[in-house]
Amino acid sequence: MQTFAFSTVPLEPGRYREALAEPTAGGYASFEGWVRDHNEGRAVRRLEYEAFETLAVKEGERIVAEAVRRFGVTRAACVHRVGALGIGELAVWVGVSAAHRGEAFAACRYIIDEVKHRVPIWKKEHYADGDSGWVNCERCAAVADGRHVHAAEHPLAAAHRHDRIDQAASGGVPPLPPPDYSRQIALPEVGIAGQAKLAAASVLVVGAGGLGVPVLQYLAAAGVGRLGIVDGDVVEASNLHRQPLYGPADVGQPKAEVAARRLQALNPAVRVDVHAERAEASNVDALVAGYDLVMECTDNFRTKFLVNDAVLRACKPAVFASVHQYEGQLQVYRPLPHWPCLRCLWPEAPRDGLVGNCAEAGVLGPVPATLGAMQAMQALKRLLGLDAGETPALVIVDLLGVETRRLAAQRHPGCDHERPGTTPAAEEPGDAMPAELELDFETLAEAFESGLELVDIRESWERAHDPPGLQIPTHLPLSELVHGRAEFPAEGRYLIICAHGVRSLSLTEHLRSLGHPGVYSLRGGLAALKS
Amino acid sequence: MNSIEIQYFAVLRERAGIGRETVQTSAATAGELYDELAARHDFGLPRAMLRVAVNDEFAEWSRPLAAGDRVVFIPPVAGG
Repeated sequence: MQTFAFSTVPLEPGRYREALAEPTAGGYASFEGWVRDHNEGRAVRRLEYEAFETLAVKEGERIVAEAVRRFGVTRAACVHRVGALGIGELAVWVGVSAAHRGEAFAACRYIIDEVKHRVPIWKKEHYADGDSGWVNCERCAAVADGRHVHAAEHPLAAAHRHDRIDQAASGGVPPLPPPDYSRQIALPEVGIAGQAKLAAASVLVVGAGGLGVPVLQYLAAAGVGRLGIVDGDVVEASNLHRQPLYGPADVGQPKAEVAARRLQALNPAVRVDVHAERAEASNVDALVAGYDLVMECTDNFRTKFLVNDAVLRACKPAVFASVHQYEGQLQVYRPLPHWPCLRCLWPEAPRDGLVGNCAEAGVLGPVPATLGAMQAMQALKRLLGLDAGETPALVIVDLLGVETRRLAAQRHPGCDHERPGTTPAAEEPGDAMPAELELDFETLAEAFESGLELVDIRESWERAHDPPGLQIPTHLPLSELVHGRAEFPAEGRYLIICAHGVRSLSLTEHLRSLGHPGVYSLRGGLAALKS
Repeated sequence: MNSIEIQYFAVLRERAGIGRETVQTSAATAGELYDELAARHDFGLPRAMLRVAVNDEFAEWSRPLAAGDRVVFIPPVAGG
């Protein structure tokens, strides 16, 4: 007899029982699971079971073998029904023969518990009201029975969302089960109650790049109920070495959408909201309002400070991180009276490109990966309430020296958290009207015809890959300007161009603040051009 | 002259070509120390763009220095 099997016809416990008989056995224990007429407060008419059989049989046989070895029983077997079942029908049978009753009961209990937990079997419930839904969760029953926590707080509640169920029903394929969270539930500080907190939580991740990828992966895998992804970029080949959520086939696709698909596959229980747009002054408050916690994972100061001000206005916690070559910085913001924000640490809001830029500085994948994983950890700490008594700090991580430094930080007396962004630094003229700093062009030819002189501020090595016809004659590398080895012309009208429009906008702001009225930035940089 | 242990990060580390050093200095404050080191290493970054931490706590540039202080200069970074 097989030790684990599926049956499409009604189970016959009497027949299976005979196969367990053995002269050395002094007893036999069995468990039968029956279809009952209700689940989680809803009346159930009938059930359908489906299994991923090849995988399920292997796992089932493994469980039975474990039980035999662990409890020293004589023989054991389990048979599970698949197909349509009515109320009262036998859904699963477990039988164990052993020398003594103690091992027989223990092994029987072990097998049914592990089968419910580990074997990929889905149950579709047909309710009395005509509705139906796929269920895969032994713990649901435990929760509904009130053994652990109230059903509404159930850690896997997200798996029962109607969009999931409908999607699965229309495709005719049962949803994949959510991850088994037992290894994190096993932590005394997490437990079933902590898992329920994660399932009930929502986190906004701004930027799905080097930092955002591990943040999204770990939060999705941990079972955070709802994740929002804000990113207006498409996947680029140069992203892949440090953003392994994406592959070469994704190049050119919107990052937020690709990431959402991958996360959904990683954990079908998590709901993922796609915001395929850049965080801007016009949308940031609405984005932040929809979530409990914000993860700032972009690569530019402009967005970091935008997000900082938005979380201050919304009184939401946030986790900031940035990297530079082999180093990273991590800062948690909590909406508490004494807690410093990003501007408290950097009262002179830095301008992008002027103190080292990621594209030009270079980066190894594990650096943002480490900082992103640290951000994810801080997020879980916040959601689980494990950060009580923590004091504010900037944590500096040096991956070359393999060191971290925790620098205690305090609120800056001049930083107004009631009216964020109104520090003296932010009131400089350059910050005032970003819309007029940037111009849109569809092609380089159109930009040439605009009457503005085009100035390429990319580094020489970046220009080396340009197609011959598209070279911009005027070249003033930003690094030369920053270090005073070159000067921007004081007179004239210029369109400043870089790869993605971040450095050019920053330089434009800087020049305007110095009183140069005729400078503009190409919005989105060369990457935004059609040709 | 005080002996001060210094650590550099990000662009400052690149410019200095070293991550840390111990210097003998007569600088009385963190700000004076930065000016002295900026001249030696050609940092080019004004103080206003940086933060300084003394003995693992953020400090003002006017913070007086004592022998054995551990001073860290931190530029903001934005990569992701």
